[in-house]
Amino acid sequence: MADAPKLVNLTVDGKAITAPAGTLLIDACKNAGIEIPSFCYYPGLSVQGACRMCLVKIEKMPKLQTSCTTVVGEGMVVTTENDEIHQARKSMLELVLANHPLDCPVCDAGGQCELQDMTFTYGAAESKFVDIKNHRDEQQWSPVVYFDRPRCILCYRCVRVCGEGMDVWALGIQQRGVSSVIAPNMEDHLECEECGMCIDICPVGALTSGAYRYKTRPWEMNHVATVCTHCGDGCVTTLGVRRSDTGMEIMRGDNRDKSGINGDFLCIKGRYAFDFSKEPERITVPLIRRNSKLEPATWEAAFELIASKLKEVRDRDGGQAIGVIGSNRTTNEENYLLQKFARLVLATNNIDHHRTADYPGFVSALAGTQNMTASMRDVASAPAILLIGNDPTEQHPLLAWQIRNNVRLNKARLYTVNSNQIKLRRQSTVFHLISAGSEGAFAQFLVGNDSAASSVGDPQALNSLRDKLRGEQGLVIAFGSEIRGEHIKPLVQFAQSVGAKLICLGDYANSRGAADMGLYPDLLPGYYPVSQLTGSKDEDWMGKAPKQPGLTLQEMFSAAAGGRLRALYVVGSNPVARYNLDPFALKNTFTVVQDMFLTETATLADVVLPAANAYEKGGTFTNTCGDLQRLQKAGDVTTVKSDFEIIVRIANAMGYDVHGLVPFAPGLRADMGQTRGAESGEADRHKVWLTRQGIEPKLSPFDPLALLDEIQRLVPGYEVSRLNLMAGNDQHTQVPDIGSGELPSHPELIVPSEDTLFTSGTLGRYSKTLNSVMENDRAVPEDAGIPAD
Amino acid sequence: MADLVSHPAEVKVVSKRFGKGAANIDRYLELDGYKAVQKALGMDPDAIINEVKTSALRGRGGAGFATGMKWSFVPKQSAKPKYVLCNGDESEPGTCKDRLILEHDPHSVIEGVMIAGLAIGARIGYIYIRGEYRYLSVIMEKAIADAYARGFLGKNIFGSGRDFDVYWHGGAGAYEVGEESALMESLEGKRGIPRIKPPFPAVVGLFGGPTVINNVETLASVPPIILQGGEWFASLGTPKNGGTRLYCLNGHINNPGVYELPVGFNLLRMINEVGGGIWKGRKLKAVTPGGSSCPILKAEECDIAMDFDTLMKAGSMLGSGGVVILDDQTCMVKYALRTIKFYQHESCGWCIPCREGTDWLKKSLTRFHAGAGLKKDIDNIQYLAENMLGRTFCALGDAAAMPTISIVKKFRNEFEDHLEGRPCPYDPEAVTQQLPVLAGAH
Amino acid sequence: MPILKNIAAIAKGMSITLKEMFAPTVVENYPDGPGPLKGAKFQERFRGVHVLQRDENGLEKCVACFLCAAACPSNCIYIEAAENTAENRISGAERYAKVYNIDYNRCIFCGYCVEACPTDAITHGHGFELATFNASNLVYRKEQLLAPMPAHLGANAVFNKAEIDKGMPALTS
Repeated sequence: MADAPKLVNLTVDGKAITAPAGTLLIDACKNAGIEIPSFCYYPGLSVQGACRMCLVKIEKMPKLQTSCTTVVGEGMVVTTENDEIHQARKSMLELVLANHPLDCPVCDAGGQCELQDMTFTYGAAESKFVDIKNHRDEQQWSPVVYFDRPRCILCYRCVRVCGEGMDVWALGIQQRGVSSVIAPNMEDHLECEECGMCIDICPVGALTSGAYRYKTRPWEMNHVATVCTHCGDGCVTTLGVRRSDTGMEIMRGDNRDKSGINGDFLCIKGRYAFDFSKEPERITVPLIRRNSKLEPATWEAAFELIASKLKEVRDRDGGQAIGVIGSNRTTNEENYLLQKFARLVLATNNIDHHRTADYPGFVSALAGTQNMTASMRDVASAPAILLIGNDPTEQHPLLAWQIRNNVRLNKARLYTVNSNQIKLRRQSTVFHLISAGSEGAFAQFLVGNDSAASSVGDPQALNSLRDKLRGEQGLVIAFGSEIRGEHIKPLVQFAQSVGAKLICLGDYANSRGAADMGLYPDLLPGYYPVSQLTGSKDEDWMGKAPKQPGLTLQEMFSAAAGGRLRALYVVGSNPVARYNLDPFALKNTFTVVQDMFLTETATLADVVLPAANAYEKGGTFTNTCGDLQRLQKAGDVTTVKSDFEIIVRIANAMGYDVHGLVPFAPGLRADMGQTRGAESGEADRHKVWLTRQGIEPKLSPFDPLALLDEIQRLVPGYEVSRLNLMAGNDQHTQVPDIGSGELPSHPELIVPSEDTLFTSGTLGRYSKTLNSVMENDRAVPEDAGIPAD
Repeated sequence: MADLVSHPAEVKVVSKRFGKGAANIDRYLELDGYKAVQKALGMDPDAIINEVKTSALRGRGGAGFATGMKWSFVPKQSAKPKYVLCNGDESEPGTCKDRLILEHDPHSVIEGVMIAGLAIGARIGYIYIRGEYRYLSVIMEKAIADAYARGFLGKNIFGSGRDFDVYWHGGAGAYEVGEESALMESLEGKRGIPRIKPPFPAVVGLFGGPTVINNVETLASVPPIILQGGEWFASLGTPKNGGTRLYCLNGHINNPGVYELPVGFNLLRMINEVGGGIWKGRKLKAVTPGGSSCPILKAEECDIAMDFDTLMKAGSMLGSGGVVILDDQTCMVKYALRTIKFYQHESCGWCIPCREGTDWLKKSLTRFHAGAGLKKDIDNIQYLAENMLGRTFCALGDAAAMPTISIVKKFRNEFEDHLEGRPCPYDPEAVTQQLPVLAGAH
Repeated sequence: MPILKNIAAIAKGMSITLKEMFAPTVVENYPDGPGPLKGAKFQERFRGVHVLQRDENGLEKCVACFLCAAACPSNCIYIEAAENTAENRISGAERYAKVYNIDYNRCIFCGYCVEACPTDAITHGHGFELATFNASNLVYRKEQLLAPMPAHLGANAVFNKAEIDKGMPALTS
């Protein structure tokens, strides 16, 4: 972005507009509010000029010109609508429709079809064509991609998005002339990343989704844009929902709303893997163990039993005899509520979650710095990117997309350091293969520790790489969980020296949020050490939070085996399978699991509560870069409850005043202080904050937004624009500056999820679509173990 | 081996070595071979281009762009290598001149490529030979090998210290590849699909380098121009239309064949004198003057000079010199159908109007010719062709639309004769069974 | 004179009465008339209970395009679509209506659904006696709305049953 491009003046339909030199005419017009129709042109993909819909009249040119191939010129005089152009477009539609079947009533695209819209606009309704149309049979290319060949209008969008956008190149063109046909890479089927981008980008109904085919019609659904619940990238997926017997059924996921952080992108998980929510094996009623069998029960009985047991253990053995395990897939509000519940109601710091990245170490290393984290959007515009470890194509598909597009469209330089031949090497300016496990040594080498180079690889190549990196302005460094603990510090030092920004890659949808919200035995929300809880900070916790660090997840299980942990509360997690823990450790521990399925952990529980998934509730997620986004409730299963509600109801059943957990207001009472236990004379800090922010107090104890207020108040970095957040925009959060000192980070406890494009922990196990694609078998590494969480 | 014909009215420049065994390099050298390139080696590149400009040589491939002008567009300095490309993908129905040049005088093409290379500063030339001309590639391969063996090609050509390489490349059988940018795609190993212009090949062409691409006949005309001077060449033709052309007379005449005549030769004379008149004593009905993509001329329009500008004024084109003569017993609907069948088969399928339009036209005309036509089909055919014209990605759509429009306009009566379920009235052997008129189509 | 005028007026009035006395009666004798319609008479265009039509092969014409549901001003049509398979072919196109309910509590018999139907699958029949004591009876399912199978595909088989039992050949499709 060194110098702004020259501006060019031109006249379009009598309106004077300016556009940067080099802009395509169709884009310049669009920016000026003049829409030019087109099938084959797609922003960000190579120019095609095939559909001839964008013809415009440019003065001094004898023929009509395609505005998608014409670059704006100084003094250009353009007409985008007149009789000649209208006729040209109309006849183009007549030609397309000559061989396009008129089966709109059955076609999945009916109602959201660009060809339909244009036919309405240009009135090519009367058919001049009386001969027999060319027909070819429909093909199934994969469980998720169907191709109805006669409907194809050969705009080549799918071919380009698959090749240029996804770098998969699975689609191509066979034959010529009117026999031209889009063909998959394996003759009669596709072997690809099954992302379904080709379906989304298809302007007609030629490519249809196996998951949604012939189920319903676009106008029959509500379209809810929410955040995907799979990997840590935080793509927005638009879920189409429709009323069903049990609430709202999710019919499809797609990306019609392109306003999200992911733009055009969605991978197979975001698009198809919502089907775990309608899996018949899903638990829909609470289960209580009676006579060593889990039997259906009412919610009230379950709450009653849990409350009495937890109270009994707390009052008899103290809080340290209770453990709480949180989830990487619950919302920030639920995570915050869970740790608050553990610390205030259960009086314990024994709270942990499955750690997939060393966020405390990252925050420690960033102490004393400002604005050193990059957002997902930064990746798409940074002039250079350094990627250490991880395989974004498999584990962070959006990150990989951002990188690929940045390299392709902006000529960004990608430096990749990895111990495997990952696919992004194809986009890399420099790809450096290092020996496995030497990522940390590479970080040391970056800050000038030349002796570290010997264990990494060829010193000469490394030196030249380091020299190049030192010369990069605006570098973004993304690193996987290979770099943790002491190795993050040198990386941050190097980033500081070149003015780079950092991304610490974690694996699940809200891994970052779980860390930020303090699902740690030794850290409060905002990475505040429990041991330093004094003064006004202590007041925030009403002086009631225990100040002794609690047990980590592994310690809880050994404590349970040793009979010291009497109760365990697991929320949306499957530690037994994930850490391969001894199931008998829990035999004397009262265990409550809330989950969607009977996982290895849930089968051991005394009470299993059916929980709603992230598509069935509101709240916020923080992606791996720290971008905060809003979740909106899409699906609904009437008999399950959100984790938020379950936690509040357990606290209530235990006799705890829930106002102390969720700062909601009972309607007309303006004084919030009393509801939060503030005595007379003591300022209610939360109310002061609410007033200052102009936020109304919430009326429901189950409204996560009531807790979002508190999170925004108490967690440093989360004080982002509420307006933008509620409008559905991603808001980058900064990590809190902890000043001096080190945070306890336990790098040895980090276990990466090992998920691929086609697996997604427990959700992936119960997603029929993910398991149906043939690439699924190939993709899972043999030693990955049981996918959990 | 095609039979050679000749006529006293011919002016032999390009075809002067035809039938003299010039495919043999020794024989070629005896017939003034490789003298022009040696002369050009001693000339300044600008002088070569000026000589060609003076000659008023215009491209023989169809569009008729001034060759010297084309060469002068190539930038002098270029980071990428420059290329000379010889377009031997001669596929226009009715045109068969390049085939004779490649067969009888392959060295003149190599020489032309070399001179063009010297003029623009290229060191590599490609001769692209149509896929169906497989036997010509054998001749060309031998010619190139012989030239290398004599040191005319390769390092230090003719001891001048300069290098030049020539390769031949065979097509896979696609008319579309005759379009210059599609030819470059094909040569690069991709699908033969035209490129978006600009940039033009002179700036970004083959493998991204500046490229001059010329027809076989154009390049074969260059050595005589260098040897005998541009003015001499220009004087053979009419103003702005220098030199001679190879006219491929075919169709319903007595002496079909390739004749080299000055540009601007009268069409009627060409048919009656050179071609020996219409066969079987019939009368002339129509002529396609420059290959099947040109608008047709009715018999009464045929008293015309065959040069680019005059034909343009008459609403047709000189094109690639394929003169197709039709006698008065020809069914024009059938002729239109035959033409459109070709374009439907050869359309690359890239853009909508050409892909769908040619198919639609073919379907309509097939039905029409078989006698199942409707009155509104005549207007529909014209409407379709007019809406294809000028809106396609490359010129192939125009090439299909232009003859169709002209035939419908000029021979509407013949279309009307096919109406009401009558099969072709001109063809006694036409389908005898009556096709049903499509139900509800009126 | 006024008397004469009055008499004339009365006479004129009574003449109409007398004429009508001998004209045939036009009152419909519903519900005591003969036949299955019990004396009710309909115009062809009468919009009664809907009929889901079948094509000549006995397949349902409805392809579950949802356009009737979209056109319905009272939102009384509920459809669930499913895909036809080779083994289970219900309609002529790729998709068929697995569930097709019309809620006659809400239907206003406006005929928009019939207008909207691209396959002429839904039509208004002449069924009209809808009254019921239980409102849930007014949600008609697809099975209640479907037209019978065409005769050549065995629609009359039920009437033939007695004959088949007597040993007569069964009607087959």
